[in-house]
Amino acid sequence: MKKVAALATLLTLTTALAVAPKDTLVIQESADIPTMDPGVTYDTASGAITENLYETLLTYSGASLTKLEPLLATKWTISNGGKTYTFDLRKGVKFHSGNAMTCADAEYSFERNLVTNSAESGNWFISESLLGTGANANDDKTITWARIDKAVECNNAGQLVFTLPAVDPAFLAKLAYTGQSIVDSKHAAKIGEWSGKEADWKAWVGKDLTNSNLSKQPSGTGAYKFVRKDANAFLATAFDGYWGKKPAIKNIVIQKVSELAARQQAFLKGDADLIEGGGRAVDEEQIKGKPGVVWQDGFPSTSATAFFMNENIKATGLLGSGKLDGKGIPANFFKDANVRRGFSYAFNYDQYIQDVQKGKGKQRTMLLPDTFPGYDAKVNTYTFDAAKAKQFFQRAWGGQVWKNGFVLTANYRAGSVPSQTAMEILKKNIEALNPKFRVNIQAKQWSEMLASSKKGEEAMIVIGWAPDYADPDNFMYTFYSSNGYYFPRNNWKDTQVDKWLEQARNTVNTAERNRLYSLVGKKAYEQAPYILMPAPVGYSFMRDSLVGADQKSFNPMISFSYTGTFWKELSKK
Amino acid sequence: MLNFIVKRLIQIPVVMLVLSLMIVGLTQLLTPEQRAAPYIRSEQQAARLEQIIEQRGLRDPFPVQYGRWLGSTLQGDLGYSKASNQDVIATIKERLPRTIELTILTAIPILLISVWLGTLSALHKDKFIDQFLRVVVVLGYSLPSFVVGILLLAVFYAYLGWLPGSGQLNVVNTFALGDIRTYTGLLTIDAALNGRWDIAWDALQHMILPALTLVIVLSANIIKVMRNNMLEALTSDYVRTARAKGLAPKAVNRKHARRNALLSIVTLGGFLIIGLLGGSLITETIFAFPGVGQWVVQAAVGVDLAAVLGFAMLTAVIVVLVSTVVDILYGVIDPRVRFD
Repeated sequence: MKKVAALATLLTLTTALAVAPKDTLVIQESADIPTMDPGVTYDTASGAITENLYETLLTYSGASLTKLEPLLATKWTISNGGKTYTFDLRKGVKFHSGNAMTCADAEYSFERNLVTNSAESGNWFISESLLGTGANANDDKTITWARIDKAVECNNAGQLVFTLPAVDPAFLAKLAYTGQSIVDSKHAAKIGEWSGKEADWKAWVGKDLTNSNLSKQPSGTGAYKFVRKDANAFLATAFDGYWGKKPAIKNIVIQKVSELAARQQAFLKGDADLIEGGGRAVDEEQIKGKPGVVWQDGFPSTSATAFFMNENIKATGLLGSGKLDGKGIPANFFKDANVRRGFSYAFNYDQYIQDVQKGKGKQRTMLLPDTFPGYDAKVNTYTFDAAKAKQFFQRAWGGQVWKNGFVLTANYRAGSVPSQTAMEILKKNIEALNPKFRVNIQAKQWSEMLASSKKGEEAMIVIGWAPDYADPDNFMYTFYSSNGYYFPRNNWKDTQVDKWLEQARNTVNTAERNRLYSLVGKKAYEQAPYILMPAPVGYSFMRDSLVGADQKSFNPMISFSYTGTFWKELSKK
Repeated sequence: MLNFIVKRLIQIPVVMLVLSLMIVGLTQLLTPEQRAAPYIRSEQQAARLEQIIEQRGLRDPFPVQYGRWLGSTLQGDLGYSKASNQDVIATIKERLPRTIELTILTAIPILLISVWLGTLSALHKDKFIDQFLRVVVVLGYSLPSFVVGILLLAVFYAYLGWLPGSGQLNVVNTFALGDIRTYTGLLTIDAALNGRWDIAWDALQHMILPALTLVIVLSANIIKVMRNNMLEALTSDYVRTARAKGLAPKAVNRKHARRNALLSIVTLGGFLIIGLLGGSLITETIFAFPGVGQWVVQAAVGVDLAAVLGFAMLTAVIVVLVSTVVDILYGVIDPRVRFD
């Protein structure tokens, strides 16, 4: 017994030091960091790292999604009718390698993104602005070195000049995306990345940079410098040569802990300042209200999710008889707006908010985050109303739907509890309207669903969209335009809406854009191409020793979603 | 003996070739979209699905895809693992020593404790100690490792605070790791060789709970087999003869009965080590222990083909090597089974 006691004392003595030190921010999460190369960063786990090791020309001002402020640029001017952007760059900025940042680095960074523009990256949207196409030179033979070179140049005064083929109101917001960070061109070329010259540009077209040399040895201008990354942890430390204010926290440790129970225990003991939680229901039960824990609620959500109702279903397997005979549906079942309206009135939004979002959800008026510019809160919304749903179904297809009934087969993403619950709510309400109505729901693997829905083969699915940059076009065009990314999935086309969306894309007048988006929202309410899912309300929790993370500073466009801030703005008491 | 070992080593590439053909063949049952899934991390990236499939030749016929894999493998390139975000070879190099470390720390106690307890149980058949050990064995059998792991973590880390939680080192030591020169890849030994006894001690402490979990879960089977073997040996003719000759009970039990009872334990020990070296999937995941097991779980979940193939190749090497050692050990224990 004595031996056991002695061992226990020894172990306790050595582990007592384990609590996260004051100068170190400890984060535990389940996922690994896919890449540290901004040229291919297109997910939040990678973005959370690159946005702190690197810097962009400009960034969001505090929590605002509309106000942009200079970061590596000091100011910019727009000329040539909105097609030329000239940036003055900050002087005296050093990269982590010790190299001084010059305009050549900025030029290199953007040209590298345009040259590589790999399928894994988000560079398609900067390419759309600067070359007028989202494709790279392998897929679009009209892209030449001359076009890339001309799109972004340094002038004699050392200013960075972008020349756009057409006006793009979202251009500045796109520049704030961490994928458009300025990289150290001398360091990159030295470690075997693209030379920055015409001679070898072709060899880099479409190249996946996920595991690039730059990803292994990053060198940015950010407040934090990469130290090491292994199977277990990522380490960064404050960069002594940083041009801005010295960060309060010296070290950052991101530990990879796949098991939720292990993360929770570390957090409650104070060994971790921030952890990846297990969803609202779990976190409210197991974390909220525990000693040493700060719980913050009411954060904005920047994703938008909807039921898609495909107006041209290409897979015969889901159509049953393929006719309105009560044993199936025709391929164009959803073409009749009354069917879509009927479904929209049949979904119980409040029940979804209660069941899935634990009462913390909010109905939106359009498929655009409510914090985004262009959102119009005055547009009408559908509510659950069985009587109205019945009225629309009775009108649909000249009364055939109500008389004969239908069998609809809808797929949801396997493993997604919110999607499954939403489908079950809809199924129950639809089937309660008329005994001849039947909705069969089945789980499907995500990768298969992505492929089949893109081919227009899904009848009804639930999918969402998260923003690349804080501009309404990124959502509105994606969901509502017949040239948008989601069009093949629901085949809803409205020429008037298409026209409004193109107009909004081609004007820099904010008031006019807002008016156009509001018109799209109203038309979409009336035509009901989607059933809008209530948006979740965000929350966060952290150890009470962490300072600098609250609702006022939380910006949903920051990839480090635990605090919605850059690490340099945090401190510990 | 040398002939035997060489023959076994020649088997390795053959086993690997057959395995790789089977696995690449099996993956052809998946759609190109499913095989492209590991490259997609967000709905926005999914918009680029077609380009990803095109770029990686996922629609190419099977011989072309297999040929591409074999070609790069023969050049020592096993591909890039999305699960670890680095090359497969680099991943194995980094993680295998960690698993070996945990295997050493786990397998030796399991074998020693099991042989001892199994013998003890048999020698005290139906007495209290035997009854007690039988209950322990049933418990060890029925408790899944994720239950034992989380339970140990909750008690010794969260409640008592005697042992550290998941991971391999405390936060304060993670930064110091960069200064440690790697000799063996085994963290405890490398830290000790660098004179960083604090880090060696820290790493060792972090391995106690995962090792204990494995000891509890994996000992049960061997204790049971050892008990049965021992009981059989104790009632056999040669033991009776030995006793009749007037040998001391200790000598009879140890030299005659236990030595024979150990034969099947050598085989079981071989399986145990193969299993442990192949990564203790659940235990490594729970304790965030960066071994091959943790990697392969993620690889399997994410259909990470390069990683699954790389892991299969690694397992083939381990199986052939360990079973060769087991066969040699057989010869050492049982003179009837010698190769020369």
